[in-house]
Amino acid sequence: MTVEARQDMAVDAPQDMAIDRRWFLSRMAAVWAAAGAGTLLGGGALAAPALAHGGGSGGGSVWEGAYAKTIRRAALDDPTELTISEAAAAFRRRLLRPVDLMEAYLERLGKFEEIYKAFLWRPTDAELLAAARKVRLDSRSTPLAGILTAEKDNYYTKGIPTTAMSPVYADFVPEYDSTVHARLKAAGAIMMGKAAMGPLASGRARLADGTATTVNAWTPDDIRYSPSGSSGGTATAVAGRLSTSGTGTQTGGSITSPSQAQNLTGLKPTFGRASLFGIVPLTFTRDHPGPLARDAMDAAIMLQSFAGPDKNDPRTLGMPPVPNLVKAATVYTQRGKPKVRWATTVGYPPDFLSGANAETLPMRQSLLDTLVKVGCRVEEVPYPADWDLLSGLSSTAGEATNMFLPFLRKDVSLFADRLPGFLNGMFRSSDNYMKMLQARYQFLRLVLDQVFDKCDVFLTGTVFDGIGLPLIAFPYGMGVDTTTGLPVPRGTTLGAPPFGEERLLAVIAAYQAVTDHHLRRPPDPTVSAARARSFTAPYKVPADYDASDET
Amino acid sequence: MAAPPPPTDAELDTYIKTRYALIGIDLSTLPENDPAAPMDQARVMANARSTIRQEVDYSNYVPDQQAHAAVLYPAPFAVWTGEYKP
Repeated sequence: MTVEARQDMAVDAPQDMAIDRRWFLSRMAAVWAAAGAGTLLGGGALAAPALAHGGGSGGGSVWEGAYAKTIRRAALDDPTELTISEAAAAFRRRLLRPVDLMEAYLERLGKFEEIYKAFLWRPTDAELLAAARKVRLDSRSTPLAGILTAEKDNYYTKGIPTTAMSPVYADFVPEYDSTVHARLKAAGAIMMGKAAMGPLASGRARLADGTATTVNAWTPDDIRYSPSGSSGGTATAVAGRLSTSGTGTQTGGSITSPSQAQNLTGLKPTFGRASLFGIVPLTFTRDHPGPLARDAMDAAIMLQSFAGPDKNDPRTLGMPPVPNLVKAATVYTQRGKPKVRWATTVGYPPDFLSGANAETLPMRQSLLDTLVKVGCRVEEVPYPADWDLLSGLSSTAGEATNMFLPFLRKDVSLFADRLPGFLNGMFRSSDNYMKMLQARYQFLRLVLDQVFDKCDVFLTGTVFDGIGLPLIAFPYGMGVDTTTGLPVPRGTTLGAPPFGEERLLAVIAAYQAVTDHHLRRPPDPTVSAARARSFTAPYKVPADYDASDET
Repeated sequence: MAAPPPPTDAELDTYIKTRYALIGIDLSTLPENDPAAPMDQARVMANARSTIRQEVDYSNYVPDQQAHAAVLYPAPFAVWTGEYKP
């Protein structure tokens, strides 16, 4: 097929079809090499060839389809139930004012935030109400105008404390906004507060002495069940209806894991799709910003608002343009029935079913059946040889040490229970660091050549973080937590080739159009904060607490 | 030739402490051994020993020496040959 023919075809195809995968492989290798060399990447040398720019389903305003055509009655009765898409539509149809939405949220915050502890810092109620009153809705507004967001505390916010919930940043007040925060503000979003998080982006939110703070919104009366992390405060805020949507970061599962734990739809985009400028780093090569949202459309709206090139982050330059993610997440129908927008083969690894337990097996089987119903082809895809070896070798070890050495020299006790992970990089030899980079390259190549030659999306997890591929987490059922005996949501994660965000959103939008897992809301807390404190001792995370899949 | 005996914990501890000292890392602000503390010196040392031993496992991975380095695609030559038209 000629380049021109492929570009023509790409107009209506999702962007992952138009991407030259060898270019992405080369680009990621260059990013990893640049991390080692300590050089800045230029946009020019690493720009995608023209072929890669044809993708997307763009044309017209990206926001056109973002306003919900129907708004659930129950959600209008309690506006904290509204999704971004519904709230934006309600504003536009004058069924609701931004200040009404704010008042509803402030009422919940007043009642329950002492239990949830989703936020580390919040503006005053008066400031928030004033911000809501200032919202002007006109033809230039985005669907985020007047929408309330929780922002993870590792996003720089000008003049507002940004601590990453760690003593390392205890007194840090940034002089500028992170690019993501600045873009959300420009889109009209109102920040409800800085969300609690695992210290320095690892595990559940906790104090330096190990005392857990934030509860899972699904078990508000029992702090033992983890909200997951590290974007756990954001997840609790969005699931507990203290904000409509929020931001997280992911180095190894930190968006997808709390999304799964709290019935949310979390999107970790392709590496470089969104700017990391002004975000407390863990690594140079595998940190990703992304949204935690209530459904696929909300995730699309959030990412659409802040993705794209940023001159302050060379890793975002020279990328294919951001496609119309909102359109990808708009439910597509054939003969009145929701169907996946593009012909899609969903691959699942052998252990997706064989490794499931009695609780998850029926959920997973039902997921696959439902995906078939919405028009997907579903196929078992074996793990290529060396999958475990190469994915294991693509670890983070070493990168955090490099970033934080000045703080480590100052006082190791600031790192509390996170200390070993930050110190141990100094025991990685240069030949083994080279091996890690080579393993990442080989693993990415393996995934592109031997997984995505058989399917368009793949049910997999955090192994995609190290190689920069996009992931979406979404709820698919309910289970029972064995420690507390409480009902809790269950979710899973779908991955795609480079720039496959449209494809992921289209599949999950179709799935959510025929299922209602994402519409379930957790129970409200039944005890007051004062009562909870008087009856229980502070809960400390166990000494063997493992946050390795939540960074 | 027989492989040398693996180092003992004590030998590794000497190596670890020397490395920390060279870099300027001071563990003395942590308690020596207090499981109730967020972190103590004993856990830091145990974790470091484990990491160093794991590094040996990494050494066992030998990448294909012929695996080519990443190159940008389309390569400049692709334009000369007409295979790629920007």
